[in-house]
Amino acid sequence: MSEDKKKELLEELKEGVINYDEERVKKAAEEWIKNGFDANEGIFEGLAAGMEVVGDLFEKNEYFVPEVLMCADALYAGLDILRPHVKIDESKERLKGEVVIGTVEGDVHDIGKNIVKLMFETAGFTVHDLGKDVPLEKFVEEQMRTDSDIVALSAMMTTTMVGMKKVVEKIKEKNPNVLILLGGAPLSEDIAKKYGADGYAPDASNALSEALRMVSTLREMKKKGEI
Amino acid sequence: MVEMHKVIFQPSGRRGEVEDGKTIREAAQELGVDIESVCGGKLTCGKCKVQIHEGFFEKFGIESSMKHTSPLLEQEKKKLTKEEIESGYRLSCNTTIHGDLLVFVPEESRGGGQIVRKTAADIKIRLDPVIKKYYLELNPPTLEDPVGDLERLMAGLSDIHNLKNLTIDYMVLKRLPDVLREGEWKVTVDVRYDKEIVNIRPGYHEQRVGLAIDVGTTTVVGYLTDLDTGKVLAVDSMMNPQVPYGEDVMARITYAMTHEDGLKKMNEAIKKGLNKIIQNVTKEVGLTPEDILELVLVGNTCMHHIFLDINPEYVGLAPFPPATHHSVDVKARDMGLKAAPGAYAHVLPNEAGFVGADNMGVVVATEPHKKDILQLIIDIGTNGEIVLGNKEKLFSTSCATGPAFEGAQIKFGMRAAPGAIERVRIDPETLEPKYKVIGKADWHTHIEKIDARGICGSGIIEVIAEMFKAGIIKKNGTFNMDLQEKTKRIRKNEKGEPEYVLAWKEETSINKDITVTLGDVRAMQLAKAALYTGSKILMKRYGVNEVDRVLLAGAFGSYIDKEASMVIGMFPDCDLKKVKAIGNAAGDGARIALLNKQKRKEADKIARRIRYIELTVDPDFQTEFMMAMHFPHMKDKFPHIQDILDKIPR
Repeated sequence: MSEDKKKELLEELKEGVINYDEERVKKAAEEWIKNGFDANEGIFEGLAAGMEVVGDLFEKNEYFVPEVLMCADALYAGLDILRPHVKIDESKERLKGEVVIGTVEGDVHDIGKNIVKLMFETAGFTVHDLGKDVPLEKFVEEQMRTDSDIVALSAMMTTTMVGMKKVVEKIKEKNPNVLILLGGAPLSEDIAKKYGADGYAPDASNALSEALRMVSTLREMKKKGEI
Repeated sequence: MVEMHKVIFQPSGRRGEVEDGKTIREAAQELGVDIESVCGGKLTCGKCKVQIHEGFFEKFGIESSMKHTSPLLEQEKKKLTKEEIESGYRLSCNTTIHGDLLVFVPEESRGGGQIVRKTAADIKIRLDPVIKKYYLELNPPTLEDPVGDLERLMAGLSDIHNLKNLTIDYMVLKRLPDVLREGEWKVTVDVRYDKEIVNIRPGYHEQRVGLAIDVGTTTVVGYLTDLDTGKVLAVDSMMNPQVPYGEDVMARITYAMTHEDGLKKMNEAIKKGLNKIIQNVTKEVGLTPEDILELVLVGNTCMHHIFLDINPEYVGLAPFPPATHHSVDVKARDMGLKAAPGAYAHVLPNEAGFVGADNMGVVVATEPHKKDILQLIIDIGTNGEIVLGNKEKLFSTSCATGPAFEGAQIKFGMRAAPGAIERVRIDPETLEPKYKVIGKADWHTHIEKIDARGICGSGIIEVIAEMFKAGIIKKNGTFNMDLQEKTKRIRKNEKGEPEYVLAWKEETSINKDITVTLGDVRAMQLAKAALYTGSKILMKRYGVNEVDRVLLAGAFGSYIDKEASMVIGMFPDCDLKKVKAIGNAAGDGARIALLNKQKRKEADKIARRIRYIELTVDPDFQTEFMMAMHFPHMKDKFPHIQDILDKIPR
């Protein structure tokens, strides 16, 4: 009985996110807690599973920016309810990595960055969001403070993209093992390489898979004792 | 495997991967760029010249170099001047590609000239130019009256015309003695603001002319204007010669930031271009550049900085401050422009980093600050600028529409030139289109060779509106693939992307089906959402839900179909009767400032009164932008076109 209920609610959370139905997600999340189910399971098997489908739809061009943003609203509505019930140590175990993210200095566009952030969060990363128009030094400081694995930089304008090069240099100078991921409309794989970044993503779903790839390489290297 | 190279053609912006060893002309054909060829590759006509731009281009991520081409041939050298060879010109028919290239196709090599739509509108304006002309007959010096030439002239101006405390431009002083004697002591003196002598001509001269110039990101146009009648004597326009350095303002600022001589190169390019316009318009009416007594320039803030040789770097970074808000008066010669010896160039004020002197021109021409009714003025270009207001208050903003409205970033997008599809209708029953091509008088309805080459901005808006009305695309922009059963025109292309065939291969001159892809629809969704969001946020700041009038400005604005633009949701609902296309209002504003000095004063005052709103920091921006991406909008109602929306098949 309880297993059936669980299954049903997970489906509700997932479908609610996919169909960007905030009310449906809220209702399912409240019921989830009322039934005493594990909050973490609700987040990852329900909400995040839904967001994964959204990522697919986005990649297939079925969903566009507005749909993804609305799905995000539904997802955050669910997270607000479930998160307070997550047991701390349990959540730590789930961590895939830590990411510092932000739109670089001089740039005030953050819709793209917000979508990438969302992808990271649903995949279980801990995200330190610095917002937009972030001074270059701030990325370096925040990485040092949080000891994050990845620094993800976004730029929407060619003029601000140029500043990324400096951030990459500065971070690598302080800590050569940090992985740097670049994204945003004016970038290309060639430019990311030229700036010395470890990864580049043309859009949000690619950003996630690229980050996962980067983290697993990092872990491999750590295991082998290369770092 | 054959090696592939990235090739980008400017100013069209067409790009793609090309096989190693192909000629530049072959690459152009593949990518849909027209290059003239009379001799067909025999190296005898020299009509197919192109310019290779060298260096690393951030915007495209390519390193372009002459080393990436086949060596210069002896025969090729004969067809090119020494100067051309030095600046990277080649004949595209025999130059093969062996690496990434950025190729600029100069105006004269382009097949099919652009239709310049920045024609001058009739404007009614009280004539009160800054330049006043005074005729003088002086007594020659004698032994009894040996006073100097300048003092003699000044005394005459004081006695006869009551002009006191005048100054004289040094270049005018230099030629004063000769001019006085050439005219046998009868001269026409041109005085600016009744303060400075900027020109002196021997004898009596009736005519005074000035030049108004609109420096657009993509197109530059000059209007030679009679200062006594206000009449436009000649118009000349050209593609902005800075285009090879970047298609939009951001790309140009980046070019200035990343290349040590970047600003200098772009400044030189625009100077050369402006002087060519000056030559052409004066020659057309039998005058010389020296006859131009005053110039007025408008342009967006980035263009403004570049033609004034001011570093535009800081305009490109938040919070985007311009070097100056105030209008600029500078000697034309200091800007490197050809004109009368002491002539000035006046540049209208900038409102903000992204709302420049060109928008001030629009405000001068439309005068929203003098009206009771609330007007929404949208200037559509590579960058969209919006002004909302009336007597009470004025707001402005800028939104990055991208080049979609000008045909770039659209698979078969092109400039408004012969062969461009400019109007479209789609039958909602059969889903068959009919369309009109620039250069052909009739609508095209059935298969025949009509030589369509692509779709221009106004055509893209119409085709997307029509596709939406016919149910081919849904509110959210996706294709209704169920309709594949009904027509072969809806299909998936080789990349698996849905598309609609607007013209079959047989009807075109590019030997390819002309299609509208999902990617094109997405580009248009972003562009139109930017304009809608800008309008909506300004209206919210003003505290209104509707406006009394919508004015669509810009070269593109005059040809846009009002109904189609509302169907896709480019701006909030309004009675279509109150929507008006006003053409190149920025250029009109420049002419007004040329003809009336009071308007310049006003412009300086208003520029500081208009409140600039930065959209991206508005808390509702993301939500509004998102909702505006649907056709016509996710939630907002459109009562004035509800009958059209009701007919859409679901």
